[in-house]
Amino acid sequence: MPNEEKLSLCRRYYLGGFAFLPFLWLVNVLWFFKEAFLKPAYTEQPQIKSYVKKSALGLILWVAVLTTWITIFQHFRARWGEVGDYLSFTIPLGTA
Amino acid sequence: MEHLISINCVKLLIATLFYTCVLSSSVEQKIYVELNNTVPCVRLLNATHQIGCQSSISGDTGVLHVLETESDLDWILSSGPHPPYMVIMETAFFNRSVMMRMKNSPRVAGVAVIVSKTGLADHFSPHTTCPNQNTGLYSENNAPELANCNMTVWNPFGNGLSYEDFSFPVFALKDENQTQVIRKCYEDHNLRVNGSAPRYPLCAMQLFSHMHAVTDTVTCMRRTDLQNRFSINPEVLCDPLSDFNVWTSTRPLNSSAKGHVADESVVIAATRLDGRSFFWEQAPAAEGTVSGIVTLLATIQALYPVTREAPPPRNIFFTFFQGEAFDYIGSSKMVYDMEKNDFVIDLNNVHSMLEIGQIGLRRGQSLWMHSDPVSRRNTSVDTEVLNLMKNVNSAAAGLSVKLDQPSFSQPLPPSSFQRFLRAKQIPGLVLADHNTSFNNRYYESMYDDAENMNVTYPPNLSPDEQLVYETEEAKSLAEVATLVARSLYMQAGGENSRLSNITADPKIVAQLLYGFLVQKNNSWFRSLLPPEVTKKGDNSILSSGPPQFYIGLGPRIHGPVHSVTRFVQYILANLTGSVTNLTESQCQNPSEVNTENKDFFSYFWVSGPASVNGTEEPFCVQASVRLSKAVSPAFELLQYGSRDYSTWTESRWKSIRARIFLVASRELEMLTLGVGVAVLLLSLLVTYFISSKAELLFSSARETPTTTY
Repeated sequence: MPNEEKLSLCRRYYLGGFAFLPFLWLVNVLWFFKEAFLKPAYTEQPQIKSYVKKSALGLILWVAVLTTWITIFQHFRARWGEVGDYLSFTIPLGTA
Repeated sequence: MEHLISINCVKLLIATLFYTCVLSSSVEQKIYVELNNTVPCVRLLNATHQIGCQSSISGDTGVLHVLETESDLDWILSSGPHPPYMVIMETAFFNRSVMMRMKNSPRVAGVAVIVSKTGLADHFSPHTTCPNQNTGLYSENNAPELANCNMTVWNPFGNGLSYEDFSFPVFALKDENQTQVIRKCYEDHNLRVNGSAPRYPLCAMQLFSHMHAVTDTVTCMRRTDLQNRFSINPEVLCDPLSDFNVWTSTRPLNSSAKGHVADESVVIAATRLDGRSFFWEQAPAAEGTVSGIVTLLATIQALYPVTREAPPPRNIFFTFFQGEAFDYIGSSKMVYDMEKNDFVIDLNNVHSMLEIGQIGLRRGQSLWMHSDPVSRRNTSVDTEVLNLMKNVNSAAAGLSVKLDQPSFSQPLPPSSFQRFLRAKQIPGLVLADHNTSFNNRYYESMYDDAENMNVTYPPNLSPDEQLVYETEEAKSLAEVATLVARSLYMQAGGENSRLSNITADPKIVAQLLYGFLVQKNNSWFRSLLPPEVTKKGDNSILSSGPPQFYIGLGPRIHGPVHSVTRFVQYILANLTGSVTNLTESQCQNPSEVNTENKDFFSYFWVSGPASVNGTEEPFCVQASVRLSKAVSPAFELLQYGSRDYSTWTESRWKSIRARIFLVASRELEMLTLGVGVAVLLLSLLVTYFISSKAELLFSSARETPTTTY
């Protein structure tokens, strides 16, 4: 695959991740990590490197936010009563 | 040729697989012994709490241990080496202290209670000490000195077990044969030998009773609504307790005209139709409920001939309230309908009220007339109450029933009359066999049965002979019924000269007692009910044994109308109705026939007495007996957290069953798992090794065919 195409793919995945799609950033990091940091240098590499770094940052932020929210929700949903029920998609039977 | 052989091989393989699949379920039968006769304890919820029992979604398993002595209790709770335990509890240990210790212990997986009369304590009532204390007449706002049983504790033997929340399943073992199977398994495997612990494999039991609803009615109904609105496959979590009240009147009332009836003054005679116990759908309720039902039915039977010949000025309205054990469901609904002008009469039509409470355990003592001191502070009400007491006293002349009054400031016992007084101050009395606390030592428990009411039959009587045998209790209740009938006739303004003609028939009382306490599938009940019910066999309401008086969830969910409601309805049709010569289709659709009036009467197609050669001749009975819905107004108003009305609901569940089997020790299970995982890893390793060295291993084999050519 020519380097210009790699750069444009990396950019597209980076921009797409802003549409609340952190998985695109994860894929970006996994695919282009070798390209950005382990291959010998070529012209497009610094830009790919910056995209990968920014995708990784966004990914870590998303993971932190989601983990916090999921922990809080799982722990406190029962205590929230009505609000908890309205926020839930499926409510387990027989337990609070 | 090879082709044919391979096809036959394939057919043989398929046939073997088919047989193994069909026979493979027998392995499950070799492991598990299913216990078919299970009586669970289920979860009930009200506006603020949940009560009852809950199991895990995949059942609770525990090693069996029979609780017979105190040392067994220590073994289960602290010293036994194989927790959690499934406790098989002897009757004597089913009390509050033991159950609360089990509730707080993590070593108890569940309890199976042996229900028998051996070892039964002198008194056992799982109900609270103050029944229906929050929904009666006396509360913090109205006469707080009489509220919460401050003056009189009505049920002193109550231990409140029915109102506790257990996080493990509790089942009842009623079938003696099944209990024997469990005991045998226990004795074969779980007994301690010379004080040392028993060794694996041990006998264990698994109980499934996973309840869907949690927390309280408000949460459960909210979640049901959410499911109904947003889910593709809605899951209902709980249902309100509901059924029907049964009512009739001496002068038929127009059921299509609702609200106040001009120039109609009504005397209400009421009693309750339901009971409960700790376990689901078990409620023999002999002294608590049957005594009242039988007496009121006999009263109606005594009054009807005379009210036909010489109708009194006032109408007499008889009603049987369903659901009174759960915060007065039936009576609160009727009062609510009367207030909303949605019933055939309204509260301004009511002149006075006479309620029959628990009257079965009189034993020759006095009958007590309870009245409400709060409403009697009003002088006009007080005069009417004194008048009613005078009528009852004069009706007792010539009968062997003595009457007495409790002290003036004593409140009313828990009764439907309290709900009427909440709406309007009506003069009335509640008749009971007790003064300050119940005579019933087994109130709302599984042991409130015929024996508790002293209804016993001599041995060697056939069922038909038992049906008509007049016990002492039958004669005593017939006397009370005569008293009530005469008092009602006088209260309704009837002439005193007719009073001596009003007598209750002890034979009818004896038949009613037999049908409601011992065996509901008897010849008299069968003659009263429609032919499709009597023919249905075991699944109908005429299964063997006494009827159970738990209210249940109503016809939408539980099939036909509750059995007790049906029985009372058809017995009333028999006692007060008249035979018509309508055909079956006319009986089902009486509006098509000009001479019949659907507004004033109901029409019932009944079997009739079974004749000698087995042929039945069903006929149509016309009677002014009606059913009215008994569901708490809280569910119509959608006020699920209501403090004024009953909010009781029953949880739904998927399966309730029990089974026993042998369990191996944890170490053996882990060892088996470990060996399995090791074999898996080893086989993966060998496969990887073989596949990577494939050319080396199989190349010599491939060379040989080439050399032969």
